Amino acid sequence: MNEELDSQLSAMFDDQLPPAECELLARRLSRDEQLKARWGRYAVMGAVIRAERGVRLNAPLAGRVSAVLLAEPALGAQSLAGALPRRGLRWWQPVVAGALAAGVAAVSILWLRAEAPSSVASLSARLTTPAAASGASVIPASARERGGRADSYVVPPSPAVPAVVVPSTELANYVVAHSMFSSPVARRNLLSAFMTSEPAAAGAEEPPDDVKSAAQ
Amino acid sequence: MSRARPNSGALLGLTLAWACTAALAEDAAGQAQATVPAATTPAQKKTSPALTPAQWLERMNHALTTRNYDGTFSHWHGGHVEMLRIIHRVQDGNVSERLVSLDGSGREFIRSGANLACYLPDRRTVLVEQRPPQESLVGFPAVDDQTASFYDIREVGRMRLNRRDTHVITVSPRDEYRYGYRLWIDASTAMPLKTQLCDAHGRIIEQVVFASLALPVRIADASFRPEVSTLGFRWLRTGTAAPLAPAAPATSAWNALRLPPGFRMSVRSAQVLPGSNQPVDHLVFTDGVASVSVFVETQTAAVAQAPRAQSAAVGSSSAFSTVVDGHKITAVGEVPLATVQFIATQVKAQDLVPAGVPQR
Repeated sequence: MNEELDSQLSAMFDDQLPPAECELLARRLSRDEQLKARWGRYAVMGAVIRAERGVRLNAPLAGRVSAVLLAEPALGAQSLAGALPRRGLRWWQPVVAGALAAGVAAVSILWLRAEAPSSVASLSARLTTPAAASGASVIPASARERGGRADSYVVPPSPAVPAVVVPSTELANYVVAHSMFSSPVARRNLLSAFMTSEPAAAGAEEPPDDVKSAAQ
Repeated sequence: MSRARPNSGALLGLTLAWACTAALAEDAAGQAQATVPAATTPAQKKTSPALTPAQWLERMNHALTTRNYDGTFSHWHGGHVEMLRIIHRVQDGNVSERLVSLDGSGREFIRSGANLACYLPDRRTVLVEQRPPQESLVGFPAVDDQTASFYDIREVGRMRLNRRDTHVITVSPRDEYRYGYRLWIDASTAMPLKTQLCDAHGRIIEQVVFASLALPVRIADASFRPEVSTLGFRWLRTGTAAPLAPAAPATSAWNALRLPPGFRMSVRSAQVLPGSNQPVDHLVFTDGVASVSVFVETQTAAVAQAPRAQSAAVGSSSAFSTVVDGHKITAVGEVPLATVQFIATQVKAQDLVPAGVPQR
């Protein structure tokens, strides 16, 4: 396996691979056994890392992914009984299990990647009921049920949020203005986060021309 | 200016260790302040009926907004921990507050009544905002019956923290449009000694732990003066306050066509932000716990050159900006990014102002 492919796999597992490349690699994964095995090793390593961090794969998501796997011949067929003959426990069985987990992880990552950009559209599709007081619409009561929460919406984990490392003056204005309408705890958290956000580099932001500035 | 970002786990442990060895000092006279809600004295505690978790939240909010306090706390987010100091005073109905970053940027936020000042030494800038006087007493989101539809609020136990008896209250979101909280609320004073912000899966994404907390009867004015020298700083001030009601009848108003479940508009106002001459429409949406502000600005040349969609994170809070019909729409709130993104993209100008929306 060449280094570039290896690098792509690693990037894909770290959720750093551009979507287009991700799609191509996923296609190749579905037909390249060697690549699939490689992915399996990444998945096992990833699972260990996640376990160390105390992060669990969302169970409903895992269930969904498993269902997708079972329904997907290219990825699921070899993972079933035929691929795991009942010959008692063998030393390689954990590896196969890892590969199966890898398949699940592969699909889950693709699912997440495909879902994230369209999360707004997914939400839009579910929002149909007219609102009362504000003139806005809200999600139907059935959508509030916890059981349906993994359907189409995934909260972006904090590290994945494209952070503006240096809060702009404009953002500072918004934060301060918004803080007046937050709950006391949320307000303190918000202002604390702003106070502790990465300081600006010198000259990182020049004032706009039309800014009202005055020396005290 | 650069800061070391040491191992978060080790630092978190260290932070907790500080918290465990720190004392919460309470002025005896302070307990008798008229502004403190019920159950602040031992006698009252013995006779008070057990409070529901929602009532504990109410007491906590009341304590945070009406008490005098001076505390140092650690703020943890994204693997980084920093110490801050908060001083809060209510005197003759006037609220003063100062929040200082004790290390790192040295930024300060100072509020005196309706005057807000943000000192940014790393930018050599001071933002000064004058809020309408009535907004200095603006209500924060209030937990009500509807809130229970979107959050599971319960007391999960009592725990000793900082040698204080605390009630541990969890506010768990029932979906992924919002975050939840775990709060360690002091049984005597109702002050939250420790708070964790969690996502819908219960993962901690932000934590505040008080290392010391005093509740003095009086706090001197000097405590609300900035430490940072502002010599040579830019001062960005709000321009002339925009009229709250336009001279001519409005033909349209900005509103969200759709909202995540439970969110409703609570405030609509017009204001001028520091460094700008243009009035900004400010809409606030809340579900009783979280709130999201939407700012609508007329598109300027600078806005036109900016990317159509931008996002940012301030701690666990999110911001998303987009352009709609020649206006820049920015949503900011202590919710996941997808929630502010959704709300921002649903804001449109409508022909009629909906009835029943509070006007400020």
